[in-house]
Amino acid sequence: MTLSLYLERATPLHRVHPVTKVVCMVGTFVATFLLDEPLFIMPVVALVASAAAIARAWVNFCRLRWIFLPVFVFTLAIWTLFYPQGGASEEALRFGLGMALKLVTFLGTGVVFLSTTTIEEAAYGLSCLGMPYRMAFTLTLSFRLVPLFLDSAKAVVEAQRCRGLEFSRGGPLERFRRYVPVIVPVFMGGLRRADHMAIALEVRGFSCGRRRSLVTKPAAGLRDAVAGVVAAAVLVLYLFWWWNGTGLIRPGV
Amino acid sequence: MGAERQKAPALGAEDLCCRYREPDVAALVGVTLGLESGELVALMGASGAGKTTLLKCLNRVIPSFESAALSGRVAVGGRWLEREGIRDLAGEVGMLFQDFEAQLFSTDVAREVAFGVEQLGVETDEARKRVEWALSAVGLAGLSRRDPSTLSGGQKQRVAVAALLAMRPRAMLLDEPATDLDPQGRGEVYETLGRLRSQGLAILSVEHEVESVLGADAILLMRGGRIVASGRPGEIASRVELFEEAGVRPFELARLFRSLGLEGLALSAEEAASAIKRAGWKAAEEDGAGEQMRAQGRLVSLEGVSFRYEGGEVALREVSFTIREGEFVALVGRNGTGKTTLAKQINGLLRPGSGRVIWRGRELATMPRREIAASVGYVFQNPDHQLFAPTLFEEVAFGPRNFGLGGAALRRRVEEAIAAVGLEGLEDKDPFWLSKGERQRLAIASVISLDPEMLILDEPTTGLDYRQALEIMRLLERLNRQGRTVVMITHSPWLVAGYAGRVLVMEEGELRWEGAPKEFLLREELLARAGFEMPPVAAVSRRLGSRAVTVEELVGKLKKQEGVDREK
Repeated sequence: MTLSLYLERATPLHRVHPVTKVVCMVGTFVATFLLDEPLFIMPVVALVASAAAIARAWVNFCRLRWIFLPVFVFTLAIWTLFYPQGGASEEALRFGLGMALKLVTFLGTGVVFLSTTTIEEAAYGLSCLGMPYRMAFTLTLSFRLVPLFLDSAKAVVEAQRCRGLEFSRGGPLERFRRYVPVIVPVFMGGLRRADHMAIALEVRGFSCGRRRSLVTKPAAGLRDAVAGVVAAAVLVLYLFWWWNGTGLIRPGV
Repeated sequence: MGAERQKAPALGAEDLCCRYREPDVAALVGVTLGLESGELVALMGASGAGKTTLLKCLNRVIPSFESAALSGRVAVGGRWLEREGIRDLAGEVGMLFQDFEAQLFSTDVAREVAFGVEQLGVETDEARKRVEWALSAVGLAGLSRRDPSTLSGGQKQRVAVAALLAMRPRAMLLDEPATDLDPQGRGEVYETLGRLRSQGLAILSVEHEVESVLGADAILLMRGGRIVASGRPGEIASRVELFEEAGVRPFELARLFRSLGLEGLALSAEEAASAIKRAGWKAAEEDGAGEQMRAQGRLVSLEGVSFRYEGGEVALREVSFTIREGEFVALVGRNGTGKTTLAKQINGLLRPGSGRVIWRGRELATMPRREIAASVGYVFQNPDHQLFAPTLFEEVAFGPRNFGLGGAALRRRVEEAIAAVGLEGLEDKDPFWLSKGERQRLAIASVISLDPEMLILDEPTTGLDYRQALEIMRLLERLNRQGRTVVMITHSPWLVAGYAGRVLVMEEGELRWEGAPKEFLLREELLARAGFEMPPVAAVSRRLGSRAVTVEELVGKLKKQEGVDREK
């Protein structure tokens, strides 16, 4: 089982410099959340969809459809029904649809980023932008640890089921209590592993205090300029609309 | 390996003492050793003998990471260390761990190997060259773009070696680097280490199996924090009592020589067989009778079971066999050949994609999960995957309680299970503080307290020292004699030779062979399929025209010829 979203492909988007990717991603996030009208959100949806197509990342969207679909449906339903100025109106529906599109676009941008960027590149990008290296490394290392934790949790669940533990019986509190025999071994195992990993990192010079070099240094090129210009243009357009009050829905206004 | 040397060795210690504060124990007492460049030295001893502590002192994990009172001195790269900590030694001393997952953290092999070089700030072109060189030194040149998590255990361990090697260390410390590997992966790691000697590295490796380190320059035996013996493998391996006292499994051929009253030692089966012949020993005629299988009722049958993990390759293909009541079955095969998947079919954790599993005449798939759990006990490879309770008693009581047992009956069941694994008197202790061997026994107790008819154990002796492994195996033997059926997944030929009644060989998801342990251990092509090597005694036995697979058996079959003097 692999939980990493990174797809080993040689697309132009994969070769974009990590710093450009981080900046474009943040720009897209901002643009996504500026406006409310579904029609005005569509350009940024199209942008993210094109990026996904260029990166040939559709497979990840398919894998994560069980996240995308519920997020879209629930957001639409909740905002439409509980719209401040009385639910289930045409305005409420537009607002709900806008919110659903924003959240899905937000997630989609993240998926495109993780599909085209290894955790090492992400750490490098973040540290170039000023995040301390140790923090950037630890952050990305946690991505690497998630599958290991899940594997260990799976083994623990199986081991306890073999001893007659049933998770589906009893009320909520009772069920929660049944997870203690899973949580404790996973947590203790995690601590043991973290201890080993810390020593392994030190042995390989993680805190030796020397200036780090890079064996594979990402290079910036024309594609970075193109990506930057596209993202900047979209962001400027959205800021302009937002400044003018275009594409906004203000409940009660 | 001189003890009193003035000049600082490539890796060494002088009068090193280490005392942990919590709990207050002396872990090392006056340890002196020295390795020169290009030397490979094996460090052996029971759990708690001080092996890992010694490694940690040599690369300064102690005192940089773990607090302990230290005295004496340590040498690395030809100089005595003074105040250097682990950070100052990065790149000079590499350390490889048993748990290979915990030392790999990159998304591809080349990045993994580059990590340490980058931390040292090695200039890009040179760093690239080093990564290429290190990968070819461990024989993984073609795999630089692979995700380390998709590699086999042996390959992962070699990636970890390459990652250290690229930092151009003067010395390498290995803490049971091959324990979690199948015999083939183990071979890969030791072959790689052998090659590294020619690069001028001083290598100190902790190992439990003397057969793996016969090619080392020296073996050091530790006991109670002291080095109690050291010498070339050919000399030291002959001292059976010394190994037994130190809690290390003695070299089989040494035990054979001792039993036959022969002096000296042969390291290869060929030499051993000639020495035995020269001394006038001859194998008695084989009586030809095969092992008798006791006629027992069918307990579980697999009928054409195939299985595929979601989104993965086929893990089992048309597997069929029957296990009868009271059998002791060894399930063998290389890593990733479907042994664990197969075992999980027997206890219903996985359901066959096609085919059927029949338990006492009923299809397992139709039985309630709880009923299966009560009938088939499953002990996972890592005991820490199941231990969670605050006391041993509570841990062992957890299973029976899930089945509604309580009061005096529960107490009796728990006490019996704890006594069966020899942990009586520790009922109120926290399992966290037990040794690995004790935790493994506790895991077995917590499963046998369910009183299952069949016990499945996934590599029950991995990571245990000889004494602990013997204790587990004797326990299993006893449980089997009391009528429990035992299925054990293992990579150890000596466990198959000494305990199993039948062997199932898995290869690429298929059951390739089943039969008597003796047939298995004496046939090279079968052993190769399972990634095993022939046990030395079996190899000697074959050369003498006998079919024995254990020392005791072979000694029983050899007869001294009249008129030939015993070799002096």
